[in-house]
Amino acid sequence: MNGRIIRALIQKDIKVFFSNQFFALITGLALVAYAGIYFAMPSTVDETIEMAIFAPALPQQFADSMGDEGVVLKNMESKAALETAVTDNEYAVGVIIPESLNQALASGEQGKIELYFSPEFPEELKEVYVIFFEEIGYNLSGQRLNIEVNEEILGVDRAGNQIPQREKMLPLFAVLILTMETLGLASLISGEIEAGTLQALLITPMRMEGLFVAKGTVGVGLAFFQAVVLMAVTGGLSQQPLLIIVALLLGSLLVTGLGFLLASVATDLMSVMSWGVPIILLLSLPAISLLLPGLTTNWVKVLPSYYLIDTVYQAVNFNLGWADAGSNLLILAAFALVFMGMGIVVLRRKFQ
Amino acid sequence: MNNLAIEADSLTYQYGELTAVDHINFQVAEGEILGFLGPNGAGKSTTVKMLTGQLLPKTGKATLLGLDIAKKTKQVQAQIGVCFENTNLYEQMSALDNLKLFASLYGSNADAEALLTRVGLDGRGKDKVQTYSKGMKQRLMVARALINQPRILFLDEPTDGLDPVSSETIRNIIKEEQARGTTVFLTTHDMLEADKLSDRVAFINQGKIVALDTPHKLKQQYGKRAIMAEVELADGRLETREITLDEANTGTAVADLFANEKVVTLHSEEATLEDIFIQITGRSLV
Repeated sequence: MNGRIIRALIQKDIKVFFSNQFFALITGLALVAYAGIYFAMPSTVDETIEMAIFAPALPQQFADSMGDEGVVLKNMESKAALETAVTDNEYAVGVIIPESLNQALASGEQGKIELYFSPEFPEELKEVYVIFFEEIGYNLSGQRLNIEVNEEILGVDRAGNQIPQREKMLPLFAVLILTMETLGLASLISGEIEAGTLQALLITPMRMEGLFVAKGTVGVGLAFFQAVVLMAVTGGLSQQPLLIIVALLLGSLLVTGLGFLLASVATDLMSVMSWGVPIILLLSLPAISLLLPGLTTNWVKVLPSYYLIDTVYQAVNFNLGWADAGSNLLILAAFALVFMGMGIVVLRRKFQ
Repeated sequence: MNNLAIEADSLTYQYGELTAVDHINFQVAEGEILGFLGPNGAGKSTTVKMLTGQLLPKTGKATLLGLDIAKKTKQVQAQIGVCFENTNLYEQMSALDNLKLFASLYGSNADAEALLTRVGLDGRGKDKVQTYSKGMKQRLMVARALINQPRILFLDEPTDGLDPVSSETIRNIIKEEQARGTTVFLTTHDMLEADKLSDRVAFINQGKIVALDTPHKLKQQYGKRAIMAEVELADGRLETREITLDEANTGTAVADLFANEKVVTLHSEEATLEDIFIQITGRSLV
């Protein structure tokens, strides 16, 4: 294999790739957009509830109780101001506590508070708030209610430490960036077949192996570089960077193999898109199921991208170690080798 | 014959049931220009593909520069240049970048700018190929085929559909390359071009070579040997007289013509390669 030839082919492929304005644009835009979306999303999950309150003489016990329950009270100057704030969706919930409540609680009488909900407030949640205030009222009045509460935590109890949506989306972004390069590579190769330039290359001293090394390097390089940049920019490499980089490299090999397969069936940009988009959607499913739990079941493990997404997700959010990631990485490597091998065999047949 | 540059020995290729090239045999000497003529679908392109290592012959053997192309494909390909019928350049890249890419693939240190000058594209080297006219692209294709200073040059319809200036440039390059000792395998259905450029021509029809010789000999062999005279009659009308050569009375007939008639024009009647092809195969070249 001749290094000079491979270098010349790589330089040519990069020139041709970026001369395709469509892929050049989406390559740059996607990276910026994914990073932008990531940073635009909240970095924490707000587990407190903000509530507007008008209470001319708020009982201290009441305020303490609310604070304990994770409710942040925002004082309003008047009942009218509270009504306006809630109507304008500034606050989802407002509560008016009359001056007489203290007296009522002290004398053991039934106190009265008024609850206001914003127009879009879900009906089913209103009852939750009613129960919540009743509970506080009962606590403060000293009367014990005979209510049994069963709480079952599913999976890891992330109470107080929930994973922000954007961290859940990070593996999705990485997979989207990788798979987008599948389309780019497939388009590059099918374009060469269509234009006949490949025929011109193949009657030079260049060997077929050199061609695949060059195309593979360009495919893996473009995909891997962008995915690593995205992870670095978003802070996704702050935990287990090497493990994540290895996973992304294997993922890049996988999508390059898929790019070869795609190029063997596609004839132009349109057919690349037609074949490629369903593949992207399929490969993204494991990532989407992180955002929408229950969307998929164990069958999702048949998708090779599952092992990339699961590894990146666990490493970014749970500091997954090499020992725990080992099986994922091995399966991902096996998938990458199989797809790369299949891609080379099928595409080689097409070239010949 | 000098050293052989190309030797086809019973070369055969089938696409499924269709035999595209049927046991053809020919030889091309080093420095020779062979015109390979035939109508569309006659087997020209398949033959070129076998000779350049793009297709493996089903049976038979092709030897180029003493090497079996099926076994020493890359060794042979390093010494040949191919100009395809259809333009297949990297249109998004400049002409210079196209040439430099192929120079790298061949490990050639050819001067790309000088080559562009040679094909009349000086000053346009940095322009993207997609801005070129058809003639300019074709000239660039020829330049690319020369980037490795090939010992054998395969040209497939190099002047098809080109303007006269581009065609003449390419013909001149073919002659220059021959003078340099390059063997040229010229595939065309342009009989005049083949006649002008080729040392020998081969006619291929339905996968078989039906004639192979110098244009002159083919014309002698298949052409009508006669002279045509245009004579003016007493009343001023013009008439044509034909005198067949190689007859016992040819000399007398010519003497009588000049003695008894007022000869206005006189020329030999020579068959064109097109005529000969039709005569041999019963079909035209186009």
